Amino acid sequence: MLSYILKRILSLLPVLFVVSVVIFLVVYLIPGGPATAMLGLEASAEQIAELNAQLGFDRPFLVQYVDWLAGVFHGDWGQSYFLDMPVLTAIAEYFGPTLSLAILAQVLSLIFAIPMGMLAAYKRGTAVDLATVSISLLGTAVPGFLLSMFLMLFFGVYLRWLPVAGYAPLEQGLWEHLRYLILPALSLGIVQAAYITRMTRSALLEVLYKNYIRTARAKGLRESAIMFGQALKNAAPTILTVVGQSFGSLVTGTIVTEVIFNIPGLGMLTMSSINQRDVFVIQGVVLFITVIYVLVNLVVDILYGLVDPRIQLGRK
Amino acid sequence: MKKRIAALLGTALLAGMMTACGGGSGETTAETTAAAAGGATEAAAETEAAPEETSYKSELNVAVAANPPSMDPHGINSNIVGSIGMHIYEPLFSLNENYEAVPVLAEGYTVSDDGLEYTITLRQGVKFHNGQEMKADDVVASMNLWLERCSKAELIKGSTFEKVDDYTVKMTVPEASSDIIMVLAAPIQFAAIYPQSVAEAAGPDGISEYIGTGPYELAEWKQDQYVKLTRFADYQSPEGESSGLVGAKPASTETIYFRVVTDNSTRIAGLQTGQYDIIEDLPLEYYEQLSSDPSLTMDVETGGTLNLFFNTTQGPLANQTLRQAVMAALNCDDIMLAAYGDPNLYMLDAGWCPPDDAVWGSDAGSEYYSQNDPEKAKELMEEAGYNGEPIVLVTTPDYSEMYNATLVVQEELKQAGFNAEVEQYDFSTFMEHRADPAQFDLFITSNSYNPLPVQLSVLSQAWAGLDAPEVAEGIAAIRGAATTEEASAAWDELQGFLYEYGAASVLGHYTGVYGLRTGVEGFDYLRYPIYWNVKVPE
Repeated sequence: MLSYILKRILSLLPVLFVVSVVIFLVVYLIPGGPATAMLGLEASAEQIAELNAQLGFDRPFLVQYVDWLAGVFHGDWGQSYFLDMPVLTAIAEYFGPTLSLAILAQVLSLIFAIPMGMLAAYKRGTAVDLATVSISLLGTAVPGFLLSMFLMLFFGVYLRWLPVAGYAPLEQGLWEHLRYLILPALSLGIVQAAYITRMTRSALLEVLYKNYIRTARAKGLRESAIMFGQALKNAAPTILTVVGQSFGSLVTGTIVTEVIFNIPGLGMLTMSSINQRDVFVIQGVVLFITVIYVLVNLVVDILYGLVDPRIQLGRK
Repeated sequence: MKKRIAALLGTALLAGMMTACGGGSGETTAETTAAAAGGATEAAAETEAAPEETSYKSELNVAVAANPPSMDPHGINSNIVGSIGMHIYEPLFSLNENYEAVPVLAEGYTVSDDGLEYTITLRQGVKFHNGQEMKADDVVASMNLWLERCSKAELIKGSTFEKVDDYTVKMTVPEASSDIIMVLAAPIQFAAIYPQSVAEAAGPDGISEYIGTGPYELAEWKQDQYVKLTRFADYQSPEGESSGLVGAKPASTETIYFRVVTDNSTRIAGLQTGQYDIIEDLPLEYYEQLSSDPSLTMDVETGGTLNLFFNTTQGPLANQTLRQAVMAALNCDDIMLAAYGDPNLYMLDAGWCPPDDAVWGSDAGSEYYSQNDPEKAKELMEEAGYNGEPIVLVTTPDYSEMYNATLVVQEELKQAGFNAEVEQYDFSTFMEHRADPAQFDLFITSNSYNPLPVQLSVLSQAWAGLDAPEVAEGIAAIRGAATTEEASAAWDELQGFLYEYGAASVLGHYTGVYGLRTGVEGFDYLRYPIYWNVKVPE
């Protein structure tokens, strides 16, 4: 088991290497260095060239890359020119809001999605099923920014229940923290819930017509015991995969939602670093996202083993 | 065993996430207590006040549209940096509401007979936010840094500052001119005075400690979130009434938050709910709709000109007659309407300076402005021997006014028979193209007013490649003029030349709109929004 986890983590290294080369190259090839963004509209070409030279961005690609890579092996991921802090510190700082938002959105989505998916599967073909499927299709189809705007206008501007945008860290109190996160979490959660509902429904449908369920019914087991004890448990790996993917996409930062609701998370950091050509931050964020994705998948794989004893990781 | 390892791993992962989360917001604890303390003093002040008097909030929330790239106004031509910077730092001289240069940190100055030596005396007892007194050493270090880094200081290139005594500095300029003090007082990339230690530690990207003598001190700067300023308790305000950027700066509200809200509709929603008291860069398409809301007040300020620049050195437009043909085809009313959306939000005028500026307002060359004459354009094209070579207009959708105007210009040029093509890029790439005469024929940018026309980008060869001896001669004539009238006449001539030569054309004057909650008092504007007099009723 331990060696399996180690192997998985080691297999990350080549992936990270390739990703870092590609990102570095892309940032190198697109015109405009950090100096252009720093100096503004009326800066002269000489001023821009001068600052780029001072920052070391006029050197050949390989020199810049090797320099950066050497730093990474010493734990130095570079310095952000705009944030005026090391890249790792910046990522740590921006990850907090994203994590809070992801957890809240995921909890909200699961509260809706699992029961609805189960109900729809259990009542297959009825009006309940049809309604659930239609609503979840609508949820998948609505663009995230539209949903965000709608929630902001309705709950923020019209009803004035919640602030329209912004972020309060946990230190200012749990409620203050949540107050700012509810609308964006709802906006993200609804889209995720729609997807998870549909996947839960179809995973359960596959299981519900299996022989062992029929046997369980024949034995006279209660329906609730069949649903929770047998069907849900057997459908769990599929549902877990979906939830894992969903959490992976939430926790790596959602640019549109974070920008609309002004949440200083990874999505915002990604966008501003690209706009400002803050090359080391772009690098850092992309690598961090890659690591997080792989870790989330690893955790999901480990959880498979927990919910289904037949799956034994790392054994041939 | 397997389960235990999984559980362990899960806990470790979770713990890692928690620390990351905690690290992200650990700095705010102190801030909360500070805010609470601020609230307490405010409450105390309220009990003393008579009951019928309006009580004011201790916190002002301003939503700004862009993340300040720095807190160092010297090196960066950015409105957001200058506008926040004006509250933190002060220059020796600045502008009053009549655009006259008036001492701020200086007490006064004398000029030698040959006009080359300025002896500037400093106000005594002015404290920096770190408690040190501002003295000549600080001024010399800051001004020398400014001369090196500010592109607007090119005009007085070669000047030096030296200390005479603790409260006197001497500035030596290479050439006499009537505009020296005006250059020192220019608000964009203004000559902020930092403590000597800060100025001397500045690296290639500017200073890294943000200490000034202004009415507010920088309490906290959270990138992508807010800049928090708090009233500086030991502030020594200059004498005289508040006027523009000079005079008394009472810091009426204890705390100012400049909140970075890049999304337009979010900024507006926040203003409507009162989460923000003032928003900057109100999107112009909302102007009409929001004007009818009684809980909001719109503040419209003219801020600069939208301009069309020609490539006068390379490509088809190196031909002066062809440039004249382009100018003949333009209908600036349509262009400005497309760019700014509402006739209340722009002004048609050929001048490069504010039309109401007594000295620099000018209509020279207006016969070339907004001619809307496609027939004349066709004749001039024929005369220039135009054969359908592509005319490339580069632009960026990042600035919607520049982008929309470019599309209309393209259409007008096409109607006149030009083969006009638009190339659009993101802002940084656009800047690269704009700076290279091999990569554009035309481009449009919005440029803020400058207190002196000689500082206009259009006159700089680095801007669009303009290379004509008349420009340097014109600048010399303006700067060397003995009287204001002569300087004004020399500028008329130079502006006329710009049109005649077809170097560039003003398309119109734009305004910036600020959205305020109705009831907000003391908002003022001079080149930047000014918040030190602003009070927000509870």
